[in-house]
Amino acid sequence: MSVQSHATSTDTPFVLYGETLSSRFILGTALYPSPQSMRDSIAAANTSMVTLSLRRQNPNTPSSVSQDSSQQDGDTFWQYIRDSGCRLLPNTAGCKTPREAINLAEMSREIFNTDWLKLEVVGDDYNLQPCPFGLVEAAAELVKRGFKVLPYTTDDLVLGQKLLDVGCEVLMPWGAPIGTGQGLMNRYNLRTLRERLPDIPLIVDAGLGAPSQAAEAMEMGYDGILLNTAVAKANDPIGMAHAFAKAIEAGREAYLSGLIHKSQTASPSTPTLGQPFWHQT
Amino acid sequence: MPMKKIGIVGGGLLGRLSSWRLLRAGCDVTLFEAGSLQVCPGAARTAAAMISPLSEVVDSERLIYDMGMAGLKLWPAWNQQLGQPITYSEQGSLVVAHTQDASQLTQFAAKLRHHIGDAGDASYQWLDQKQIAEIERDLSHFHRALYLHTEACLDNHALLDQLLSDIHALGGHTFEYTPAVEVSSHKVQTEDQRFTFDEVIDCRGVGAKPDIHDVRGVRGEVLWVQTREVQLQRPVRFMHPRYKLYVVPKPNHQFIIGATEIESEDLSPISLRSNLELSSALYALNPAFAEARITATDVNLRPSLMDNLPRIERCKGLLRANGLYRHGYLLAPTVVETIVNEVLDNASAPYSEQIMIKEPALC
Repeated sequence: MSVQSHATSTDTPFVLYGETLSSRFILGTALYPSPQSMRDSIAAANTSMVTLSLRRQNPNTPSSVSQDSSQQDGDTFWQYIRDSGCRLLPNTAGCKTPREAINLAEMSREIFNTDWLKLEVVGDDYNLQPCPFGLVEAAAELVKRGFKVLPYTTDDLVLGQKLLDVGCEVLMPWGAPIGTGQGLMNRYNLRTLRERLPDIPLIVDAGLGAPSQAAEAMEMGYDGILLNTAVAKANDPIGMAHAFAKAIEAGREAYLSGLIHKSQTASPSTPTLGQPFWHQT
Repeated sequence: MPMKKIGIVGGGLLGRLSSWRLLRAGCDVTLFEAGSLQVCPGAARTAAAMISPLSEVVDSERLIYDMGMAGLKLWPAWNQQLGQPITYSEQGSLVVAHTQDASQLTQFAAKLRHHIGDAGDASYQWLDQKQIAEIERDLSHFHRALYLHTEACLDNHALLDQLLSDIHALGGHTFEYTPAVEVSSHKVQTEDQRFTFDEVIDCRGVGAKPDIHDVRGVRGEVLWVQTREVQLQRPVRFMHPRYKLYVVPKPNHQFIIGATEIESEDLSPISLRSNLELSSALYALNPAFAEARITATDVNLRPSLMDNLPRIERCKGLLRANGLYRHGYLLAPTVVETIVNEVLDNASAPYSEQIMIKEPALC
């Protein structure tokens, strides 16, 4: 683009917990056809932060094949993600109780050397819906222990407020259940969150399938987008990562530029004054 | 021409197949294995041994399909050349999904079309409930399935045994419990002996880590169950949000179900969670599996490179083959054909251009 719009040149930085992130697109690292395609997708997305899950590793077991006994199993893969240069956001995917989530958070902090955490406490096995009660309980404890908690939550306003009350500084409401690709299922709730919490960074996390849905969330004034499946499971993950990156930028620019309000009757963009009157019926 | 002296390090599928093919071609072959040769410690033992280029291309690349289709032609021919042919089943495979995961089955078919285009149209078909019942009675409760009729599977435990006995019968030398401390150009150094060869072939899989910088192990866990209450004629793939699950019928009313796919080099026993996931998938496939007996669990590491594709590094007096990942039995024939043709100075095998790197910086 040769001309930078007023909107983007005056955009405020994307700040979470006092740290400025260079991109509003956060990408997950699971489900790619290969580590190579994961890293190429990260590059195509131009993301500055990636999520990753310790859940299925056994961090206390030394690698069974490495010559270096201090190397942990899975290290090759972790190192490969680290080499992308992105900030790491460990998650607690699959945890069902606050205790599980807290234990995993502590382990992740040690292994990845970061106190940032995407907090997930699953309340339902099939749609992986967050458990509101466990989420608040775990968030309160983790904040006390010095974690910078980014909670994966439903789009419920009161739940969001409770999470802020216990010390979260960011909320990550779902668009739809994880991996479903359904997009923004409850626009009313998402708008309510945005309107009622104007100063809190809000990130739509999970459920997006198409770049247009990410653009729509950004047009609503959301600060960022977190997703994984829509990119990792696309026929061409790298192409899809790039498509989402453009949509997120477009949505942000549209938001900053001010969308027009919808109206019931048409108002022609070209004045009808110059047209012959028989065309004006 | 004098007989070529070949040293092969690693007694898994690649090592055994290469030894056998080169012995048949008249080479003098010595095979080294760090563990046991009677019970193969590598992924070759743990694998379900499907030859499924269609199912596997869905989450990989076209090359896997092309090499796999070539493998589908080579396996039956090679099987007939074994001292005693093993069970090789060419009954195709079925792909099914639970009602809630129906969209994943549609996505599977869409990705298949994306990768292989019209070329593969004839190699798969949708079946309705009645058609499913006709070929797999015990899956008749499924309303829809994808039938990939060209796919095959083989009895890998029998194959690994047969290859070993053929290697001995053809005069191959074998050393087991003999880890190599150095595998380099023309040279294999064990703990107490140094060997020189015309060519050294490094087939150590994850064990080649010291020499191939980007090799990693990807943990996979499987269950073996036994029951007479369910009968399957062919491998069945089952949609799951995280893993590519399959159930493969094995001799003696046994079934293998796998496999998890975890980015870890941990070889400790199967976790309870993985066991639950595999078991519940089996139960969902047919509740009669509930009374099956779990006869074994197994864990291993798939030797993988960062692009999850195979690679042969070639420099003077040395070939390093690695990265067969979850595609060992699918890709082994084409990879071995490439190795053998290179060693014998024959014309290049198909796909050697895609998988072989000559004179890499580190070899």
